[in-house]
Amino acid sequence: MPQNADQVLDHFELFRGPEYKEMLAKKKAEFENPYPDEEIDRVREWAKTEEYKELNFSREALTVNPAKACQPLGAVFAAVGFEGTLPFVHGSQGCVAYYRSHFSRHFKEPTSCVSSSMTEDAAVFGGLNNMVDGLANTYNMYKPKMIAVSTTCMAEVIGDDLNAFIKTAREKESIPMDFDIPFAHTPAFVGSHITGYDNALKGVLEYFWDGKAKMAEPLTRKANTKINFVGGFDGYTVGNQREVRRIFDLLGVEYTMLCDPSDVWDTPTDGEFRMYDGGTTLEDTANAIHAKATISMQEYCTEKTLPFIAGHGQEVAAFNHPIGIEATDKFIMEVARLAGVKIPDELAKERGRLVDAVADSNAHIHGKKFAIYGDPDLCYGLAQFIMELGGEPNVVLATNGGKKWAAKMQELFDSSPFGANCQAYPGKDLWHMRSLIFTEKPDFIIGNTYGKYLERDTGVPLIRLGFPIFDRHHKHRYPVWGYQGGLNVLVTILDRIFEHMDATTNDPALTDYSYDIIR
Amino acid sequence: MATTTPSLNQTIQDVFNEPGCGKNQAKSEKERKKGCTKQLQPGGAAGGCAFDGAKIALQPITDVAHLVHGPIACEGNSWDNRGAKSSGARTYRTGFTTDMDENSIVFGGEKKLYKSIREIVEKYDPPAIFVYQTCVPAMIGDDIDAVCKAASEKFGTPCIPIQSPGFVGPKNLGNKLAGEALLRHVIGTQEPEYTTPYDINIIGEYNLAGELWQVKPLLDELGIRILSCISGDAKYKEVAWSHRAKAAMMVCSKAMINVARKMEERYDIPFFEGSFYGIEDMSDSLREIARLLVERGADAELIDRTEAVITREEARAWAAIEPYRQRLSGKKVLLITGGVKSWSVVAALQEAGMEIVGTSVKKSTREDKEKIKKIMGDDAHMYDDLTPREMYRMLRKAEADIMLSGGRSQFIALKASMPWLDINQERHAAYAGYHGMVELVQEIDRSLSNPVWQEVRRPAPWAGEEASWQDRAIGESADMPREPTAPAKAA
Repeated sequence: MPQNADQVLDHFELFRGPEYKEMLAKKKAEFENPYPDEEIDRVREWAKTEEYKELNFSREALTVNPAKACQPLGAVFAAVGFEGTLPFVHGSQGCVAYYRSHFSRHFKEPTSCVSSSMTEDAAVFGGLNNMVDGLANTYNMYKPKMIAVSTTCMAEVIGDDLNAFIKTAREKESIPMDFDIPFAHTPAFVGSHITGYDNALKGVLEYFWDGKAKMAEPLTRKANTKINFVGGFDGYTVGNQREVRRIFDLLGVEYTMLCDPSDVWDTPTDGEFRMYDGGTTLEDTANAIHAKATISMQEYCTEKTLPFIAGHGQEVAAFNHPIGIEATDKFIMEVARLAGVKIPDELAKERGRLVDAVADSNAHIHGKKFAIYGDPDLCYGLAQFIMELGGEPNVVLATNGGKKWAAKMQELFDSSPFGANCQAYPGKDLWHMRSLIFTEKPDFIIGNTYGKYLERDTGVPLIRLGFPIFDRHHKHRYPVWGYQGGLNVLVTILDRIFEHMDATTNDPALTDYSYDIIR
Repeated sequence: MATTTPSLNQTIQDVFNEPGCGKNQAKSEKERKKGCTKQLQPGGAAGGCAFDGAKIALQPITDVAHLVHGPIACEGNSWDNRGAKSSGARTYRTGFTTDMDENSIVFGGEKKLYKSIREIVEKYDPPAIFVYQTCVPAMIGDDIDAVCKAASEKFGTPCIPIQSPGFVGPKNLGNKLAGEALLRHVIGTQEPEYTTPYDINIIGEYNLAGELWQVKPLLDELGIRILSCISGDAKYKEVAWSHRAKAAMMVCSKAMINVARKMEERYDIPFFEGSFYGIEDMSDSLREIARLLVERGADAELIDRTEAVITREEARAWAAIEPYRQRLSGKKVLLITGGVKSWSVVAALQEAGMEIVGTSVKKSTREDKEKIKKIMGDDAHMYDDLTPREMYRMLRKAEADIMLSGGRSQFIALKASMPWLDINQERHAAYAGYHGMVELVQEIDRSLSNPVWQEVRRPAPWAGEEASWQDRAIGESADMPREPTAPAKAA
C-alpha cells in the first residue's frame, strides 16, 4: 500500500510512489483519450513561436494571468497605514477575505479588515442597513480610532452613496457624531489596486483637510517646514518606510510619513495581539496640510492625491519607485532641496558603498537581458537600475500601466544604450509575457511569485521582486529604497544569477567542471 | 626514482641552481647560493608561501587525493580555491587534511597521517595520494617521506611526499618544489599503452577557467596528442608516463622550468617556452610544437598542416576583433601582470586599436623584455615593480582607461575610479588561444562600457567644490619623494 496509517505520506511524496504512478498512467491511457506525445510536443513548441505570439497579442477580450489586483485591495493598504484605523469595505464579505489573505500571505501578519457583508437583499434594496449596522458593530467590537470606508463592486454597481450612508449612520447613532470616518469609492472595475490606494489616501486627506464631510470647518494651511512622504502601494513597505525614516533622520528633515503600515505588518511576538500598531497619527494626518511639500515615491499610485495636495498650496514631487544610484541621488537631492538641508557624509558613504558593490559585481549582470513585470512605478525603478548595472530590460510589462507610462518607459530606454532593444508593454498580462519570454529570450525574469509558472514553462529563472511574494518569506522586511535598498536589490539579482549558474553546472561528470567555489 | 632521498635543503639548493634560468646563470656563485628569493620584509604584505605554491601547481591533477598534513589553517584556507577545470575526476576538489591538533603536535603527527592515508585508500581508492608537508609538522619533525614510503608499501597506492613547508620560501619556490616531487616520485613510474610520434607534454599549464580546452581542439585537429599536461586536467597516470613524450612546451616560464629542463636531461625531451596568450604567440607555439615533433621524427608534412591551421585561425580571430576597433580605438591600457603575459597580449590589444601605456615586467625574463621592446618599440614603458601609489597615480591621471591585472591590484583601480579586468588566475573567463584573445577583447569592451564607471568617476552629485580625497591623495603622493622603484623607461 502506498499509504498506511502508521506513516501517512504527504503530497510531496505520495504520488511519486510506483502505485500512483502506475495508476495515473493507466488512467491517462485508458480514460483520458490523450493526444499523442508528439502532438503535445508540437503544440508546446508552436506556442513558443512568433506566430503564436501574434495570435496571443490579438486577444481582444480574454485576460489570462493578470498582473494586477483590484482597487479595494489598495484601499485597505492605505487604510492600515493610519493610527488605530480599521478598514471597512462596504460590499460583500467574500472580497474582504481576499484582501486579508492576500496581505497575510505576503507580510506573514494578520490584516484586520471588516466588511458590511452585503447579501442578496442588500443588492436589491441597497446597502444602507448594512452600513449602519456594520459601522456600529465595528466601532463597538474593535474599538478603532478611525474607520476608513471603501467599496467593492457590488456596492458600486447599485450606486450606494457612501457620504449619505455614513451621515445616516451617525444620525441613527450607530457611531458617535464626531468619530472619524473617511471614505472613498473604489470600484474594482476601474483601474487597479494602485488606483484604490490613490483614492483611499485622497479620501483620508480630503476628510481631514476639507472639513470632515461638512462636520467641521475646512483647515487653513499655515505653511511649516515639514515634508510629507507618501510611499504608495509597496510590497516592501515594512523595510522601506523604516529606511526612509532613517534617511530623513540623517538628513535632519522634519517629516510626516503619510500612510505608514510598517508596524502593523510587522508586530512583535511577545504575547500581545496588536490589532492596530503604529501608523500615521490622526493629528499628523490633519497637520500634514501645513507641510512645505509632499513627496510621492510612486507617481502612478498618487495620480489624484498629489494634484489634490498641490491644490492646497504645497509643492509636490513624484518619483517612480526609485531604485539604484542615480534614482536615489535624485530622490535624496530633491528631499534636501525641498527641506533646505545639506546631505551628510554618512549618506555620501552609503552611496559610495553601493557604487563599490556595483563595481565589484556588474560583470555578472552586464549584457544580460531581463523581462520585468509589476506595477508601473516598480517596473520603471527596476528597469532604470538594471540599465545602470549594464543589463538590458528588454521586456517591461505592466498590466495596470497605461499609454503615458509606456511613453515614459520609452523615454527611459532612449536615455541609455542599454535600452536600445527594450520595449514597454502596457495593459498586457502574464500570458502575453509568456510569449514574450519565448520570442524575446530574456536571460532572467523579474516579477512576483506568480512568475514561478513562467519560470517553469519557459525555463528562464525568476528573480522575485514585487508584490505579492507568497513563496519566499520576509523579503518585505528589506528595503529596496535608499542606497541600502539598492544594495538589497543588487544582491537579490546576483543571488539568483549565481544560483542559476550553480544549478546549471552541478550535474556530476557532465557539467560540474564549472561548479566552482569562487564566483 | 632516486634511491636515496636528498634533504629538503639540498633540494632547495638544487632548485636555486637552475641552469634553465638565464637570470640565475647571470649571478655569481655566491649570489646564486642565496637563492632567487627576495627576502621578505617583515611587516610588509606578501604573497603566498611555498606550500601554497606546491599545492596550486599540483592540485590540477584531478584524480589524485591531495592530503595536506598540517593544522587546519593550510587546507582550510586553500581548499579548492583555484578554477582549474577537470574533464574527468573531481577528487582534486575534495579537501583532505590531517587537521593536526595539540595532541598531534605534542606526540607527533605521523600516526595520524598514516591513518589518514589509510582512510583515503579505503574510502576513495585514488590512483595516488599527494601528501603535502606544511610548517608545523616540519618543525616538529614529522617524517612524511617515511610515512609515505611505508603507506605506499602497505596499501599499494603511491603516496607522494611533497616537501613544501611554508617557511622555506615563497610561492614560486613551492611551484618548483612540487615539480621536484613529480620528478623524484612520479614521472617515469608508468608506461603509456602506446606512443605516437605526435606525443607532447605541456608543462606549467593549469587549465584555469578551462583554457587548455581552448587550445586542445587545434592540437586534436593537427593530430598532436597531449600525452601529459602538467598539471592542468591531468590524471596521475598521464603524469607518470610523461617521460615518453617526444617534445614539450613550457607554458609558465618561472613555475616549472626545473621540470622541463630535467626531463630534457633525463629523457631527452626537447622543450621550448611558449604562450597560449595572444594571437601571434599562439601561432608561434603551434609552429614550435610542430617543428620539435618533426625534429624528433614526425612526418614533415605536419608543418604545412600547422601553417594552414594558423592561417585560418588567425584570419578568423582578427576578423572577430575587427568590429571592436572602432569602440576601443585610442583606449589606453595599463598591463600589470608579468611573465609571458606582459608581452603576449600586447599584440592583440594593439590590433583592437588600443594603446598600451605600460606593462609590468616583474616576473618577466630578459627575453620577455626583449619581446616587449620589439612589439612596443624602444619607448615602451616597462615597470619592474610598479608601486601601488604609482599605479594609482597613472590611473587617476587618466594615463590609462583600463587596467588589466591580477585580483590583488583591482582595488587600486577601483580607488582610482578606473575599469579593471582580471587576467590572472582568479578570473572566470578563459583567454587562451585564438578564441580566448577575442574573448579578452570582448571583456575589455564590456568593462569599458559598463555604466557603473560613470558612477565610480563622479562624486556624489551633491558634492561641493572641495577637493575629493582622491585629489588629496594625488597631492600627497606628489609631495612625497619618489620611491626608488618608480617607473623607469626601458634601457
